[in-house]
This record gives sequence, C-alpha cells and structure tokens, in this order.
Amino acid sequence: MITHPDDPLHVAGCAACRAGAQPPPDVDLGRVWLEVAGRTWSRPRGPVERLASSLLGSPGLARALVTTPSLLRAYVAATAAIFVAGAVFERGTGAPLVAVLAPALAGAGIAYAYGPGADGVFELSRSMPVSGQMVLLARALAVFALNSALGLGAAMVASGASGVALGWLVPMTAVCGLALAVATVSRSAAVGVSAGLAAWCATVLASTGSTGHLDAATTEGWLVPAYVLIAIAGVVVAVRASRQLPAAHD
Amino acid sequence: MNVEVTGLTRRFRSVNALVEVDLSLGAGVFGLLGPNGAGKTTLLRTLATVLAPSAGRVRLLGRDPADPVERREIRRRLGYLPQSLGFYPGFTVFEFVEYFALLKEVPERRARADAAGAIERVGLAERATAKLRTLSGGMLRRAGLAQAIVNEPDLLLLDEPTAGLDPEQRVSFRALLRDIGRRATVVVSTHLVEDVGTACAEVGLMRDGRIVFRGTPAELAVRGEAHGVGDAPLERGYSAVLAEEVR
Repeated sequence: MITHPDDPLHVAGCAACRAGAQPPPDVDLGRVWLEVAGRTWSRPRGPVERLASSLLGSPGLARALVTTPSLLRAYVAATAAIFVAGAVFERGTGAPLVAVLAPALAGAGIAYAYGPGADGVFELSRSMPVSGQMVLLARALAVFALNSALGLGAAMVASGASGVALGWLVPMTAVCGLALAVATVSRSAAVGVSAGLAAWCATVLASTGSTGHLDAATTEGWLVPAYVLIAIAGVVVAVRASRQLPAAHD
Repeated sequence: MNVEVTGLTRRFRSVNALVEVDLSLGAGVFGLLGPNGAGKTTLLRTLATVLAPSAGRVRLLGRDPADPVERREIRRRLGYLPQSLGFYPGFTVFEFVEYFALLKEVPERRARADAAGAIERVGLAERATAKLRTLSGGMLRRAGLAQAIVNEPDLLLLDEPTAGLDPEQRVSFRALLRDIGRRATVVVSTHLVEDVGTACAEVGLMRDGRIVFRGTPAELAVRGEAHGVGDAPLERGYSAVLAEEVR
C-alpha cells in the first residue's frame, strides 16, 4: 500500500512504496515515451484525410492524397478565386467565361498533381509499397473532382436563375487527360500545363472563329467524341508512362 | 543473403551505367566507393527497386522485385535515402517521417511511435516539430535518414548519407550504421573513405559500372602500400586499385 507516493524521501526509505512505484514488468517505458512523443509531435488528421483513409483503405495513400501539390490550401484558394472572378464577370457581361476557364484550370491542377516535376519526394516515393500508379490515379481523380465542384459552383453563380451549363465538363476531362499525359511523359508539370493550355486555347480560338461563340468548344456536339478519345488516351499514356518512370518497375 | 545480384546490367540509351555486376550481401555494413559516374547511384537505385535492370537477375530479401506482389513486400522492408532528398517544405520533421512510415505501410497504430523513435535515433528530437524549410543541410540529411529507418528495414540503402554532416554528427551516424548493420544489410555509397574505414565491414570499389574490388577496408588499405596516392591508407588503396584498372 503506498501511503506517501508523492514524497520521494519516504519512497526512498520504504520498500513497499518502492515496489508499488515500479512499473509492471511488462511495460516498455521506452515505447511509452515514444508513444507520448509521437502524440505530442503529430498533428491531428483532418476530416478529408480521415474520409480518404476510410474510402481508399490505406492511410498511406490518404496521406499521399492530401499532400497533392495542387490540392494544397494556397493552390485551391487561387483556383477558387479565378473561378469566382470568372463567374462574376460572366454574370455581369454574359460572356461564358466559366466554361472556358474550367478546363484550363483543371488541366493545370492535374499537371501539378503527380510526377517528378511536381512532387518533391517523387524519387523516394518510387521505392514505397504504396503504388505510384495508385497515387497518380487518386490524386488525378481528386483534383478533377474538386475542379468540377468549383466549376459547378461558379457556373451556378454565373447563370443565376437560368439553367446551369455543364458542357465544359467533357472538354475539361480531355484537357486534364492531355495535361496529365504530357506532364508524366515529359517529367515536367510546366510542360504538361503548357500542352493542356495550348491545346485548349487553340480549340477555343478555332471554334470561336468558325461559329462566333466563345463557348462553342463546349457546346458543339461533334467535338465530344474527340474529347472522350483524348481523355482516355491521356489517362492510358499517363499510367503507362508512370510505370516506366524512371524505369520499368511499377 | 539479403542481396543477390547476378550479371546486373543497366543501360541508359547507349550508356552502360552497370555492366555485369555480381553482388551478394548478408547482414552488415557494405561501403560503395568510386569516382563520379562509376555506377554507385544506379546500383543503389536498382536495389531500391526504383530502377529495373536492363539485364541480369536481382533478388532482394529472398524475393524477386520484378514481381509486383514480391516487390511490395520488399519495399515494406526497405529503407532508402536517395542522393538528392526531395521534401515538402511545409512539413515538420515528424510529419515527414510519419508520412513515409504510412507509405511503407507501417500499421497506423504504430506509425507515430515508430516515427518518434526514428527521429530520436538520428538525434533530431529537439527539432521534431520544426518545418523542414528551416533546417540546415545536415539536419535535412538526418531527417532523410530517419524516414529510411522508420520501418526498421532489413535492407538499408544510403546514397551519400554523410553529405552536409559535421564531424560530430558523422561519428554518431557511423555508430548508428554499425548498430543497424548488426541485424540488417546496409549499403552505403560515399565519397568519403573515412566513412568506409570506420563504419563498414566490407567495401566495394566501382569503376565504369563494374565492381573492380571487394574486400575489407584493411585489404583495400594494403593495396595502396606500394604506390597509392593519398593522405590516408584507405585513400592510397582506393587510388591504387583505380590506377591498376586504368592500366
């Protein structure tokens, strides 16, 4: 029975108290300290990471997802700000700016989602059991979903009471596929963004020139099969290229 | 044997970075020496399963890295510190190490304590909550080492691990290597022969993609007794072996 456990002088002279004060023999105090240190040093997981962890079934993949360069707070805030500006401009002028902006912004986000040109720890992550292709796909899907949501919100703000136009979703998929493929093959996010933007600008200019409508690239039905083909080809090329970066493993 | 390599060749277009390399390693610390472009980094990247061989046979920890399932198992038991360690500047030391614990599929309930343990082992506990962008080069290197050992690897591959470390840190780093080498295979690529002399039980010397010498540090030193160039016995051995290869 410990009668004066807080009195070091008493404990030093009392065998019963000393025995009582000893930790159980199976307690690894070093491990306990590391648990305490780990809890002290770590930050709590956010709701997005917790949700991703349960959806993906892998805490590592979930952490890789929330460290996506183009999903960091500053990047998302900048993207949202451009969408808001586009929506306000469209609402004021009637020019369909959101439909033109959405594919370009999503393409840039996708190019900065994965690869040696975008991810600082890419080389190291190539030696991890969590597959690089899974990281690529999870990040690309998340960036696409976020940009779709932001674009949808901007389109709703821009359209007001009239119907929301969603024709930009299909070309957005194509621009994302192209930017992802080029970024992965060239190992440069900047090259991927440039390719996606250049292709999208050329399409918008050409379709505007022939129809006189700024959003023709998102409303012309005959373009849809081409967009779908480009999107599929882009994803296939990106996954194959990520398997071969920088060699054949994975 | 944790590393069994036979006839390993790695080509980059027309350049042969590795040529018919044979290597088998059990537990212990193995040092890789050689001039720039000798193939040390390519060999380490191949052992880290980052690069696939162009030809030859590689078995790591008794498994075949060409098989996706076996490669995943190898990677769980692998630690790798690349020559140029990238990092996320906004991460703290702890977040960085914990991130790689999770990527190495350390069970989530253990990841935090294991990350804390690895940080303690490399002497970075006082900076555990510091952002990586605020660390010196030597501290970043130690953070990189912490992520490499966070999963208690059976195969630890370190490319120029002592770059940026001060002399005191080097001494404790070598002690850590010797400690890990008691149960695991540690391969260290370095330009610093004193690292090899004090930490490595065995040394390999590479030139033009080939291992041209393999033996103990003492055996390498003996090779330089006659006509080696350098300030220390190992340096003389190193230069003598390379000179013989040129002839």
